[in-house]
Amino acid sequence: MHVVIVGNGVAGTEAALAIRRRLDPSRARITLISEEHPYFFSRTALMYAYMERMQRRDLEPYEREMYRRQKIELLHNRVVDIDADAHAITLDAGTTLSYDRLLLAVGARPRMVPFEGLDEVKDGLVNFVSMQDLDHCERLTWSTTEAVVLGGGLIGVELAESFIHHGLKVSFVVREPYFWPAALAAEEGELIGAEIRRHGIELIIDRELKGIESDEAGRVSGVRLSDGRHLPAQMLGVAIGVVPNVDWLREVKTVPVLGRGIRVDRSFRTSLPDVFAAGDCAEIGGEDETPLLETIWYSAKLQGQRAASAILGDEVNYAPPIFYNSSKFFGIEYTTVGQCVGVPSGTRSLYRKHPTRPITQRILFDEARVLGFSMLGSRWDHTLLQQWIAERRPLSYVREHLHRAQFDVEFGRVDLTKFQEEERTL
Amino acid sequence: MRQKGSLGWLKHDLTHRGPTAWLLTLGLFAFYFILYYGGRTLAGVAIPDLFTPIARALHLPSKWTFYGLLYTLAIAIGGAYVIYKYRHNRYQVIRTSVVIFVQATLAFSVPWILTIFEQPEYYFSYLWPLKMEYFYPSTILAMPLPFILFSLLGSLIMVPLLGIFFGKRWYCSWVCGCGGLANTAGEPFRHLSNKSSKAWAFEKWSIHITLFLSLVTTAFVIASWGVGENYPAFSEQAASLRSLYGFVVATLLSGIIGVALYPVGGTRVWCRYFCPMAAILGLVQKFGRYRIRVKDNMCISCGMCSTYCEMGIDVRAYAQRNQDFVRASCVGCGICAEVCPRGVLRLENRWRRDPQELSMDALLNETYRG
Repeated sequence: MHVVIVGNGVAGTEAALAIRRRLDPSRARITLISEEHPYFFSRTALMYAYMERMQRRDLEPYEREMYRRQKIELLHNRVVDIDADAHAITLDAGTTLSYDRLLLAVGARPRMVPFEGLDEVKDGLVNFVSMQDLDHCERLTWSTTEAVVLGGGLIGVELAESFIHHGLKVSFVVREPYFWPAALAAEEGELIGAEIRRHGIELIIDRELKGIESDEAGRVSGVRLSDGRHLPAQMLGVAIGVVPNVDWLREVKTVPVLGRGIRVDRSFRTSLPDVFAAGDCAEIGGEDETPLLETIWYSAKLQGQRAASAILGDEVNYAPPIFYNSSKFFGIEYTTVGQCVGVPSGTRSLYRKHPTRPITQRILFDEARVLGFSMLGSRWDHTLLQQWIAERRPLSYVREHLHRAQFDVEFGRVDLTKFQEEERTL
Repeated sequence: MRQKGSLGWLKHDLTHRGPTAWLLTLGLFAFYFILYYGGRTLAGVAIPDLFTPIARALHLPSKWTFYGLLYTLAIAIGGAYVIYKYRHNRYQVIRTSVVIFVQATLAFSVPWILTIFEQPEYYFSYLWPLKMEYFYPSTILAMPLPFILFSLLGSLIMVPLLGIFFGKRWYCSWVCGCGGLANTAGEPFRHLSNKSSKAWAFEKWSIHITLFLSLVTTAFVIASWGVGENYPAFSEQAASLRSLYGFVVATLLSGIIGVALYPVGGTRVWCRYFCPMAAILGLVQKFGRYRIRVKDNMCISCGMCSTYCEMGIDVRAYAQRNQDFVRASCVGCGICAEVCPRGVLRLENRWRRDPQELSMDALLNETYRG
């Protein structure tokens, strides 16, 4: 069997390794194709490379030798055509490659909206999604003194933090009334906002980007905000989310059914025979379901492994585990588990705040059980929090056992008895 | 990427094996060479003794006390920097404070004060086989009884016992001066350690060969003391083995190579590849309680842990496969857990058997834990 995987990000690479785990090279030939970078690298660490905390080679989770030992063939090329009837793909180089199973794990790219003046911009727009973004950032930093970051989410903070590292004057424009309402409650959002400001970033809330200005060469020179304010900037980070990388699929010979992403069922099958999709590019769900589009690292990794099972013929009925995510905003660590935003009204919230340090815990619950956790400033074992949600534990139980889920460093355990508490109904 | 500003390239250069780093290494080589061989004539060339006059000017008994003072200052200043850098992490603050304290007392002031009271210069922070002399009969017999007891019980009972309960870190990153310098003054160079599996394979051989040599040398020296009078040829062999070991391991590897390679090879070259004490503690650690716990399914494979592991352990390989682990070489400095942006790792002392020392290929078989 020849399995061809398009995209060597975490979903594609995990799938390749999962297939190799079950089938040795005599039973499965595996080809991993990427136009971005010949080797799997850690997208999540692009900011650390930009901040000079890591070298490029450190970004690669596997030794290059590993692919040779595992007999996973790597192609640094771009797929331009898919012919599902002939079970073949065409590469940019002109060669055709036939496959028995094809996995599309082509990821996502930064979302963009048609801002005024965008058409004239040829240079200066940056992001942290691909290896090329890193090259781009590094090339531009030399000639930059002011930068603007747009979009209050994770990539936005990463960009802002990196720019500060390079001594740039940074303005961070967020459309919402506080930082990241899509995941945080107002108190936590304001706490992170204060942390962002403490690092010398001007956090501008409640404002939108109106237009982008560029110089004669097409390089970004500044932005205009919705309140008429003008901010000079030689680099502009537009981090307003990502969209599945599917546009190229509209032009191939056999087009799979597309929604926002590549439509797949719960076993990662697309509408084309023997073609699967997983990771950021996959939109999962049946005909009558709300499609599920998960664009986080953890989901992509799990989906890659599950898609590999499906490719090998197992019954797969993917259902995401209880949601969890994590991040770090400058020095503040963040863990969230379960449902914390968009909860039904009547849900109760317990907010715990350390009297002096930026450490908070929020537990969402109803009469019967806890629903979600949003923890800032200290480390938590999310698996235990997940377990309590799955076991439908009531708040009283969770409060009593909360210390068991602490994951602080030795000698550094936070004293949970000191916290100020506030309970309210949402 | 270089920093902006006229001195920007220098910063980048020093910590990333640039010309400045090589110059510093060269300077450190020269420093150690003059320290060890100053005042002697090698191959007809007289090596100037630069440090004895300095020591005399400072009213220090010898150039070795001067070296001890420099070493202690390096640990204190580097330690202050490390404490400031990781001030939010209590493990790092406490550990580094202990390292500075041990260096300033047990490894510097106490031996000096002992000589003032006309006692032998004894280092409570160093034990056999790191300090081979402490098992040589000639040295032992020159010591008062409490020191003899400390040497013997310390090496044979305290080291393995504490190793079982706390792993090798109790010594390597809390007490030892070699580790102390690496974790303080060496902090800017910790990322330079070699992470390849080839280096791992080399380390397993080199460190155990040194351990074997130290055992053989100790055995020969003790045996020659017992039977030497009857076999003068054997005595001679033992003495030359002893001085060869002293030159190659103690002088060359632990002093010159170990420290001078900081700017180009990372900080723990000696500890990782050659230290016989680390070899013993590593073997003990495998059967003890210490381990690094990995939080399931939380790793984002960013690689900060592996990059900043001074022992060149590919921590990420374990973390991304949800594998709790302990590697013989792990000195428990705790920096992997500190730099992890997702708080995935934690150092623990707990009885629980986990697979250890998994090869990279075995790790590829560990997967999502549902």
